[in-house]
Amino acid sequence: MGYGGAQEQDKHKVKGFKDNETICAVSTPPGFGGIAVIRISGPQSFEISRKIVHFLPEEPETHKIYFGTLNSFIEKTAIDEVLVSTFHQGKSYSGEETVEISCHGSPAITQWILQELVSAGARIADRGEFSYRAFINGKIDLVQAEGVLELVESQSKRAIQQGLRQLKGGLSLKLKNIQSDLLYVLANIEAAIDFSTEDIEVLNKETLFARTKRAEETLGILLSTYEHGRLLIEGLQVVLFGAPNVGKSSLFNLLLEEARSIVTEIPGTTRDVVESILLLDGVRVAFFDTAGIRESGDSVEKIGVQKSRESQSKADVIFFLFDGSRLFSSADVEILRGLDLKKVLILGNKIDLFLESEDQRRNKLKAVLKKSDLFLNQNELDLFVQKKVLFISTKENKSREIVLNSLREHLTNNQLEDEAVISQARHFENLSRAADFIKQGNEAISHGADAEFVALDFKAALICIQETLGERFDDQIMDFVFKQFCIGK
Amino acid sequence: MSGFDFDVIVVGAGHAGIEACLAPARLGLKTAIVTTNIDRIGYMSCNPSIGGLAKGHMVREIDVLGGEMGLAADATCIQYKRLNSGKGPAVRGTRVQSDKHKYSAYMCDRLRNEPALSIIKGEVKKLILNKSCCEGVVLSDGSQLRARAVIITTGTFMNAVMHFGLRQVPGGRIGDDSTVGISNQLAEFGFSILRLKTGTPARLDKDSIDWSKTTAQYGDEKVFPFSFRSPKVLPLPQIACYLSRTTAKTHQIIRDNLHLSPMYSGIIEGIGPRYCPSIEDKIVRFADRDSHQTFLEPEGLNTNSIYLQGISTSLPESVQDLFLRTMPGLENVKILKYGYAVEYDFIEPTQIWHRLETRNIGRLFLAGQINGTSGYEEAAAQGFIAGVNAAHLVLGRPEFVLGRDQAYIGVLIDDLITKGTLEPYRMFTSRAEHRLALREDNTIERLKIDSERIGILSKTDQDKSTEIVNARSELYININETKIYPNQETLFKLAAIPTSALTKSVSLADLLRRAEVNVFHLQSFGIEFFNDPLIFEPVEIAIKYEGYIKRQNELIAQAKKFEELLLPLDLLYSDIRGLSREEVEKLCRVRPRTLGQAQRISGVNPSAIQAIMVFLKSKKSRQEAGFV
Ligand SMILES: Cc1cc2nc3c(=O)[nH]c(=O)nc-3n(C[C@H](O)[C@H](O)[C@H](O)COP(=O)(O)OP(=O)(O)OC[C@H]3O[C@@H](n4cnc5c(N)ncnc54)[C@H](O)[C@@H]3O)c2cc1C
Ligand SMILES: Nc1nc2c(ncn2[C@@H]2O[C@H](COP(=O)(O)OP(=O)(O)OP(=O)(O)O)[C@@H](O)[C@H]2O)c(=O)[nH]1
Ligand SMILES: [Mg+2]
Repeated sequence: MGYGGAQEQDKHKVKGFKDNETICAVSTPPGFGGIAVIRISGPQSFEISRKIVHFLPEEPETHKIYFGTLNSFIEKTAIDEVLVSTFHQGKSYSGEETVEISCHGSPAITQWILQELVSAGARIADRGEFSYRAFINGKIDLVQAEGVLELVESQSKRAIQQGLRQLKGGLSLKLKNIQSDLLYVLANIEAAIDFSTEDIEVLNKETLFARTKRAEETLGILLSTYEHGRLLIEGLQVVLFGAPNVGKSSLFNLLLEEARSIVTEIPGTTRDVVESILLLDGVRVAFFDTAGIRESGDSVEKIGVQKSRESQSKADVIFFLFDGSRLFSSADVEILRGLDLKKVLILGNKIDLFLESEDQRRNKLKAVLKKSDLFLNQNELDLFVQKKVLFISTKENKSREIVLNSLREHLTNNQLEDEAVISQARHFENLSRAADFIKQGNEAISHGADAEFVALDFKAALICIQETLGERFDDQIMDFVFKQFCIGK
Repeated sequence: MSGFDFDVIVVGAGHAGIEACLAPARLGLKTAIVTTNIDRIGYMSCNPSIGGLAKGHMVREIDVLGGEMGLAADATCIQYKRLNSGKGPAVRGTRVQSDKHKYSAYMCDRLRNEPALSIIKGEVKKLILNKSCCEGVVLSDGSQLRARAVIITTGTFMNAVMHFGLRQVPGGRIGDDSTVGISNQLAEFGFSILRLKTGTPARLDKDSIDWSKTTAQYGDEKVFPFSFRSPKVLPLPQIACYLSRTTAKTHQIIRDNLHLSPMYSGIIEGIGPRYCPSIEDKIVRFADRDSHQTFLEPEGLNTNSIYLQGISTSLPESVQDLFLRTMPGLENVKILKYGYAVEYDFIEPTQIWHRLETRNIGRLFLAGQINGTSGYEEAAAQGFIAGVNAAHLVLGRPEFVLGRDQAYIGVLIDDLITKGTLEPYRMFTSRAEHRLALREDNTIERLKIDSERIGILSKTDQDKSTEIVNARSELYININETKIYPNQETLFKLAAIPTSALTKSVSLADLLRRAEVNVFHLQSFGIEFFNDPLIFEPVEIAIKYEGYIKRQNELIAQAKKFEELLLPLDLLYSDIRGLSREEVEKLCRVRPRTLGQAQRISGVNPSAIQAIMVFLKSKKSRQEAGFV
């Protein structure tokens, strides 16, 4: 028996099924275009949009266009300059209160904006949901209807292609495993209910629990990859780090192909963190030039050093520069000690100054590193020096490609490592719901709740998984039951 | 009566036929039931029991709507059980064992006493068709009976063949001939007709069984009759069933003789029920088990015949003789009737509408096993719905269809006509996506309005159900609105339950939601409910499980928007852009009545549903603009 009070039951409320939710989606075709339009529709469209569209007036007029800067609700930074159109309820395409944001057409930006809107309370629209709402609200007329149909057709085809790409790399495999665990559990629960009087062997609680726990864990791991998957879409943060005067600002300027940062031969030139963005094969990469690390009496420089340290902690990748025309110093070792080595790529700069073979340089570096206690064993050190050390010169253009290639490798490498990665907000949302339901179901089992209630949770979870996979529910459980059990008359 | 002998003719007096003829007769229509064997009206061809999970739910639904099955089962019950009584409220199901001869006699008596109903002995050979409309039937003696509507409920009889091992005998069930004619005529008309098979176990002589080697199983003491119209005390004495099992020896004999089973030698083409597998099936499919249990069930109070539950077989008699005697208690058993399988024609159910009228022949209704189902309750449910709809057709009233969120009967019929079936369809609770809302305890609330709309129940019976509903809602309100406060007296009463103390005032409903509190505890707080489970049980369930029920209702509301979008029957799916050829083909075959039903057709994708919606809307505006 496990029914506490009303409060306990309230958390079982179905999430995300309500039709009066506010939905959002990119309405223009995916990929790079001049501009992209994001549509927000539903009763809270103005309220939700206002969280990032600060310039939206208290009471926007209908069919009016406003211009301004979109601000991040999550990170408090500017996102893009945009045009925002507003439509009152009954006067929009969907018939609901609607906001359309025209932004610059890069996926990095549109995904970012969607993410912001979801955090502000909107939900990612289902395929064709705007048209559905328009239909329900009686807003589609003959001409529009035919246009929409074409759109729906082409959208679903594209979505399938997209889905295929999305689901490669093992995500769909993992989801299928979760699905089959859930099916298995449901089949057992349903059989226990429907054939309770027959002499069938229904699995005990522990065995079922093992499956549902496994499903919960796998889903948890998948959900945690969202951060990384999102990174692929939302971009990479790369911090340039190291001692003063090693050439960080020079590299920064080389990579961005403009003189953003001041370069002098005086150590301690850069005092503040400088940021600039580069699109690398469609991925948004943000580079941060930082102040060189050293003990300084100068209070301004001290603050700069402090900021450098902070920025590296948020980085996905750290370019650790040292002066490659000299030995890797003990100061360098000390700076390196404070970093997460998994993120570090060591760049030996200024190789134009000192003619030495790359092997010689590598061996010297290895000798220094070996003396430090940074590596657990020789093997780890060998691997690091071989894979994570590059020699460059900011005076040579080809170094730019060398560095960028290493980033490309990083992007694809990581993808392979976590073979299954969630990168779409829609998947994330669906699977989060599934995870919630499984958790509820597991709690229900451990409270000793009756089977039919436990089944409600796992069925809801299964539907979320199948929605993500684009599969239908059908009679899978019954089929499974019949395959598994011996059922008498 | 302008050339018509009857308003409605029902062919077949099995469980479907009975409900199908009583409904129109009780609505005052001149009705006839034609059957080959008057002694076997409402005969239980297989197990001597009514109800079970999901099936018991349907019996109660039939009862509230005005059908007879529940009353008959209560009146002839010799063992009452509420299955899963220790489990959650939606999966408790009533199952009774009936005295099968008394059951049949009860039904026969009901039919005989129905003033508007004529019982006719005869075999229907043919339907009288006028273009694509059915106007009556032709009997084997050549006589014609004309009617405004015809309902066929011929069960396992059409072109039926019985199998005893490799020996085949034409026959619809032991002791009855098969019937030939109707299905052939329908096939010629273009209906798709398929084969199914089902089997039954041997019947044993009570006096030849060593009962000391079996374990007695008794029914429940607490009884909740199927019908709210039945007396609260069962009229017949209650008896026990007995548990025995198969042994390794049994399995060995069966395995050695599989080649003599018509299923395994490939003689039977019909597909058998997966959930009522024969003992041969079980032994092949679950090869690692060396024993299966069985119940020895008396078929009545005054008969020696014992039904051997779970051991249906079509092996030859000689093999049955051998293997039965390897089971504890059956060492010297005398067999009264051998087990056998029957193979018969059924009409693919996607060819009928929800009202059970066929799509291609008007005024012709089909109900029962002929539609691919198995089981008495499934048959009765369809019989009732067909009877009501035939009556409505004659009376010019709108069709009567139940929703999936309303009744198991709604799920049954929607499944059959939307998905079709390739094996005998049996109802399960897991077929109902809104299971938590379809409980035995709230049947009256679910169907009362529909029942009144049909109008079969007498005024007295309707008043009785109104009284029940009122008493429940009064109690519900009372428990919800009575507050208790954390004073000395309350704390004392709580400690007596025992349950934890209060810190602030709560309603009795809040208190009842505590796991350790039940409705009886509320008596000490001044709640009266006259100790009638018919009243307090549903209220207790509604309060205790309120959160889950609410959640189920949300899902129902969610599904509803699709169920409310009606699709015109003349919709030309091939004109709709965005549908695949396969989708068009499936939609044309099923011709769904709502968008929700369209969604349930397997192989119809969400994008197709979109496309249909858009098409409909554009058509509407075209009409409004005067283009069509
Ligand atoms: C061997 C066997 C095994 C079975 N096994 C199972 C099982 O495992 N599980 C289960 O749930 N159910 C089983 N049953 C099925 C169960 O009996 C049926 O589901 C139920 O009886 C169907 O009801 P019905 O009204 O559709 O048809 P039936 O009860 O079969 O009644 C048909 C009626 O139609 C009459 N009739 C037929 N043709 C004509 C005609 N041309 N003219 C006039 N009258 C006609 C017959 O005389 C009979 O009265 C089995 C039945 C048999 C025979
Ligand atoms: N020969 C040579 N000189 C370089 C190279 N890269 C940088 N320099 C010089 O090194 C000096 C320092 O360069 P910066 O880019 O300002 O170094 P930094 O790391 O940003 O220094 P701080 O901002 O002081 O921490 C400048 O005089 C550069 O011209 C290189 O690859 N080869
Ligand atoms: Mg610098």
